[in-house]
Amino acid sequence: MFHWLEKNPFLFSVGVFLVIAFAGVITLIPSFAEASRPVIGTTPYSTLELAGRHVYIKNSCNACHSQLVRPFKSETDRYGDYSLSGEYAYDRPFLWGSKRTGPDLMRVGNYRTTEWHENHMMDPEALVPGSIMPGYKWMFTNLADIDTAYAEQITVTDFFGVPYNKAVPMKDGSTKTIFMGSTVEEARADALAEAKLVAADMKNQDVKDMVAKGQIPEIVAIIAYMNSLK
Amino acid sequence: MNKLYLGAIVVTVLMLIATYVSFDFKHGSSDIVNQIAILGAVVLVIATIFVVVKYVRQMQTDTVTGELMDENWDGVGEYDNPVPTGWAIVFALTMIWGMWYYLVGYPVNAYSQIGEYNEDAKVLNDKFEAEYKHIVGDKLVEMGESVYLSNCAACHGLNADGIDGQAADLNVRIEKSVVKDAIENGSNNHLLGMEMPMPDRNGLFNMNTGALITDAEIDAVSAFVANGMSGAGADVFAGTCAACHGEDGKGMESVSPNIATYDSALVVNVIVEGKKGAIGTMPKMEVLNKKQKEAVAAYVQSLSN
Ligand code: HEC
Ligand code: HEC
Ligand code: HEC
Repeated sequence: MFHWLEKNPFLFSVGVFLVIAFAGVITLIPSFAEASRPVIGTTPYSTLELAGRHVYIKNSCNACHSQLVRPFKSETDRYGDYSLSGEYAYDRPFLWGSKRTGPDLMRVGNYRTTEWHENHMMDPEALVPGSIMPGYKWMFTNLADIDTAYAEQITVTDFFGVPYNKAVPMKDGSTKTIFMGSTVEEARADALAEAKLVAADMKNQDVKDMVAKGQIPEIVAIIAYMNSLK
Repeated sequence: MNKLYLGAIVVTVLMLIATYVSFDFKHGSSDIVNQIAILGAVVLVIATIFVVVKYVRQMQTDTVTGELMDENWDGVGEYDNPVPTGWAIVFALTMIWGMWYYLVGYPVNAYSQIGEYNEDAKVLNDKFEAEYKHIVGDKLVEMGESVYLSNCAACHGLNADGIDGQAADLNVRIEKSVVKDAIENGSNNHLLGMEMPMPDRNGLFNMNTGALITDAEIDAVSAFVANGMSGAGADVFAGTCAACHGEDGKGMESVSPNIATYDSALVVNVIVEGKKGAIGTMPKMEVLNKKQKEAVAAYVQSLSN
């Protein structure tokens, strides 16, 4: 009955490919599209947070820390709700990590504060005796790269339609708008304004002075980023 | 008996012996899964040998029969034999099962990670309830200590001393700087579990002098409160604070918090609402359940009493 198919191997291969591809498309794409849509309450990163994220990547924090709470009671008891794919909608690249030398940081913004990070990043042992996390003293003097963060904001807005300057729905029914400057000067000013809020909660006088002078040390950016992890 | 059957028997026996030797009787003989596995291994050995012998025999003796199909590929042809009935039935059944599995079996009765999580969480929560719901006294404090060590020690320190002013020292009810800050700037931290702010110094009258509280008085009364409600400053407290906080500083239901000692309600409210004060910011600790909050409150109380 189907010998004509066997006689046309090319046509046959294309047919098989189409059938399997079609099955793949209708089973994978809808659920993937659904799951990758941003969860209500997930907002894009602000310029300063994004700069902090770059500091996080640059220092390979993800080599020791994951950002993915698995659906196990032992994890949700410790870190809070398990992660959903939509929560990573604005993470490029995602920082799930694959090893937990230190704890998960997916929701660290819920239970740690600016001052705590400030002390911890300077000298983890001072707060957590026996900690094997290294101190990151240079972050208190190195400047964060705001321009690159802004460049990333422009890119993701153009290519992926990340909703900067648009109202994003929040869990309580309100909306929130994450600002993106229309020029690099505006972006720098916005990052500095946010940095001032973070620095206000910090104790290190040198950092406060730098921010007052209009400079943004890496520590301020990475704290802003960690506070945004909720 | 021909060589083929003899070989087959020898191989079967060898493989059965190998199976027997590799089976860990010490640990496994009573386990049903192991028993099924070993049975499966035996069946597999026998079936394999049987099938191999059958086909080798067939190759040795079979002769060509049946019609060739019209087409051939460079001289290689194919017989036009009907599909064997048994095979065809199994094939059809597989398709039916596949449909059932795809449409009904899998998506609906599927394994779901979140479903398993919910079941696990329920079992563990029930177990927690059953085991810890009614604990009191030392047991509660003990549980509180472990909650404290895993959730609070990173800020408050292993000895609860607040690590050099990084967080509140929980070995005392309240530090002078915190009292002073509350008087000077007021306090609006939902310490009563609801919005009930304390006025700042521009709203605090000293009944004894009939005037707003002064710098010297603030200093004196702060030292008095931080000192466990004793020493100089008692008169300022009586004149300014007692109306709300009570003569003994133990607070009043829905009016003011206890500032003389930690009470359970205050600690629980601080955990639920967080606090921003003179020392810094304490985050809300949302992951703790009700009993854990109660327990850690009992532990905190045990530190200063
Ligand atoms: C060598 C592995 C290692 C690296 C690299 C590392 N950490 Fe850690 N981190 C740890 C360990 C171990 C802990 C737990 C002990 C502690 O709190 O200090 C920890 C704890 C933390 C915590 C506290 C989390 C909690 O729940 O208490 C934060 C926040 C943190 N790290 C952030 C960072 C950041 C940001 C970086 C990159 C700049 C980083 N870590 C790099 C090992 C590491
Ligand atoms: C009008 C009533 C009122 C008066 C008068 C008053 N308080 Fe308060 N006080 C409150 C309330 C209400 C709170 C809880 C505020 C909150 O939720 O943050 C509070 C909180 C405090 C706290 C913070 C406790 C903590 O755990 O952080 C301190 C300390 C305090 N009062 C000390 C004083 C002292 C000392 C005086 C007298 C100089 C005084 N209060 C006068 C109502 C009052
Ligand atoms: C991220 C750091 C941090 C963590 C984690 C933390 N605290 Fe605190 N806590 C603070 C700081 C900072 C203060 C001081 C707030 C102030 O300025 O009065 C404080 C204050 C307190 C107070 C005093 C409140 C008052 O009214 O005087 C209590 C009680 C307390 N914490 C209990 C806890 C308990 C219990 C836990 C664990 C479940 C915990 N804290 C976890 C930082 C933390």
